[in-house]
Amino acid sequence: MSLAAEAFVSQIAAAEPWPENAMLYQPLREDQILLSDCASSLAVQAYLRMLGLPVRVHCRANAEYMSPSGKVPFIHVGNQVVSELGPIVQFTRAKGHSLSDGLDDVQRAEMKAYMELVNNMLLTAELYIQWCDENTAAEITRPRYSSPYSWPLNHILAYQKQWEVRRKMNAIGWAGKSLEQVYEDVSQCCQALSQRLGTQPFFFNKQPTELDALVFGHLFTILTTRLTTDELSEKVKSYSNLLSFCRRIEQTYFESQDRDSQSGASDYSKGPSLM
Amino acid sequence: MGMVHARSMDPVPMHGRDLGVHPDDLEVVEAQQETKKEVLENKDIVVQHVSIEGLGRTKEDYLGYEIADVFNAKNLIDVMKKSHEARMKLLRLGIFKEVQVLIDISEGDDALPNGLDVTFEVAEMKRVTGSYNTMVGNNEGSMVLGVKLPNMFGRGEKLTFQFSYGTKETSYGLSFFKPQPGYYERNLALNLYKVTGQFPWSSLKETDRGVSTELNFPLWMTDHTLKWEGVWRELSCLARSASFAVREESGHTLKSALSHTMTIDTRNSAILPRKGALLRINQELAGYTGGDTSFLKEDFELQLNKPFLWGSVLSASLWGGMIFPIGGQPVSIADRFYLGGPTSVRGFGMYCIGPQSEGDYLGGDAYWAGGLHLYTPLPFRTTRGGFADLFRTHFFLNAGNLCNLNYGEGPHAHLQKLAECIRWSYGAGIILRLGNIARLELNYCIPMGVQSGDRICDGVQFGAGIRFL
Repeated sequence: MSLAAEAFVSQIAAAEPWPENAMLYQPLREDQILLSDCASSLAVQAYLRMLGLPVRVHCRANAEYMSPSGKVPFIHVGNQVVSELGPIVQFTRAKGHSLSDGLDDVQRAEMKAYMELVNNMLLTAELYIQWCDENTAAEITRPRYSSPYSWPLNHILAYQKQWEVRRKMNAIGWAGKSLEQVYEDVSQCCQALSQRLGTQPFFFNKQPTELDALVFGHLFTILTTRLTTDELSEKVKSYSNLLSFCRRIEQTYFESQDRDSQSGASDYSKGPSLM
Repeated sequence: MGMVHARSMDPVPMHGRDLGVHPDDLEVVEAQQETKKEVLENKDIVVQHVSIEGLGRTKEDYLGYEIADVFNAKNLIDVMKKSHEARMKLLRLGIFKEVQVLIDISEGDDALPNGLDVTFEVAEMKRVTGSYNTMVGNNEGSMVLGVKLPNMFGRGEKLTFQFSYGTKETSYGLSFFKPQPGYYERNLALNLYKVTGQFPWSSLKETDRGVSTELNFPLWMTDHTLKWEGVWRELSCLARSASFAVREESGHTLKSALSHTMTIDTRNSAILPRKGALLRINQELAGYTGGDTSFLKEDFELQLNKPFLWGSVLSASLWGGMIFPIGGQPVSIADRFYLGGPTSVRGFGMYCIGPQSEGDYLGGDAYWAGGLHLYTPLPFRTTRGGFADLFRTHFFLNAGNLCNLNYGEGPHAHLQKLAECIRWSYGAGIILRLGNIARLELNYCIPMGVQSGDRICDGVQFGAGIRFL
């Protein structure tokens, strides 16, 4: 499709209201999804919940390949398919739903900077631990990633993915890092977030933004996912304001909403609770 | 009694350097030369030695089976006939560039007065040969670069590597072929390949990487192929605008399938037959030997040809197939049947019949298609043979249907479903035969029985195909 045609389609999409049957696709929750994908998916879910846009979560073994960008999660709204948080934020804005309209230019720039920090540090650290720490890769990542496939495809796909991630790590200069250095990076990132948050309920005072959704997605997933060691979650747990931030968002946007709607099971894909 | 030097039917200049006889005593006999027949055919002879000269890496035991029959010859005509047959057999093995036959009277201590020696002079193919050619398949063209190692271990084994760069797909394949000594039609082939195909009618791109083993053997009048194939298939959307139904099929699957094909082909030509019939029955069982795809697929093809008035040919064909999922898992879009196009149900777009979603054709679980053709030679042609023989005009009537089946229903309901909403078309056109593998058709078609969602080609339709209705 040409750029003009794509722009035209998104114009059309903007005119249509958010439908009731919007879907979010992610890998299988129990056996397949990885820490990093789970965090990204939770961030998108939190974002949509903050906007009050309904979305049903569908788990598919081939979600990664269904996604137009090859990354999960992606949403299917009307006849549009949009993947990852950034484009989804733009897409909802085109439809007239936004969390960051109340911010001024300086705040918006700051928000973007912090979102970049989370993506560059937390997401990359998650990928590093999953695929570059041989213990985690062998015990958790490869078996989970390849669980829907039969022999010998399971091995081929898992190693292919591992090779791809390691090549990316090489490109961004993370390949030479040790696990300790990566934990230290996570800790520094958390410290920066913790300082920015301070005692406020959200990063930009009273109203949540997409930054809150992104930070929640990652921290909550790190806190509730069992890995080979607890070291990663311990790093996050040492920042008490981040912990209570996660609890607050969980309570406000997941538990209370689910109590209200009484239809928890199908819409709810957050995994274990912090309580 | 004279010495005889025969050269079979090969028009290559003869050279008697190994004969050790005077050229004056030589008598050249052409096999077709009927005038000498009376003189020679009654003389009893004994073939004492049959030898092959010019062998390099070829093992002699492999060729023994091909030339053994020459020993059974009882007279000279017989010797020449059998030598000629043996020569054709040797050439068919695909390991010799050239085969010449020398027939000489026996020499040496044990030579009988009526003894003959037959010598095959062969020139082996090079160890490695390369090729470059272009191919035309179902509506696409490609450039093929190939490397061939004929007769690799000296017993007819062949290793082939092909790299093809096409308008729609790029692929490579490595195959190893081994015939049974003395029974060339019974052979084994191992293949390793990667094929990428783009299917715009489904907005689908498929990359297959696979291995297969194939056993071919004739049985009475039929040819059989037993095959196991293990293939890793990667499906993806061709464009961002692909329908969600196609997007849902994206991802990796592993198919391990056993298949059997039986063919009876009595036609005189594969592309523009004048007479004879073709029956091909194919069945495929996937999932029994592993993988994550399970189904049973049955498919047949029937074609009858009959010469009709003034050199025209009447032809009827029928295709049909059905796929049964096993274990409740739906059948992948890559395994389902597709119908329509310039060489199947004419007048409809390529594979554009049946279930579809947002303009992407999803294929069906069952199909049938039938065709009636009257082929005639080009009008106003002056001579038989030549360029005009590559062409035919034809009048056709095609019909077919493709649909999904509800497996809860019985066979009667299935038949009823296939009999509803039949697509059909009629028209006329010109056919060009391309070698003996494909044909080009330019037709004027009038499609009928069009259902909503079908893409039609009302009027002139052009296309090429290997398989045709």
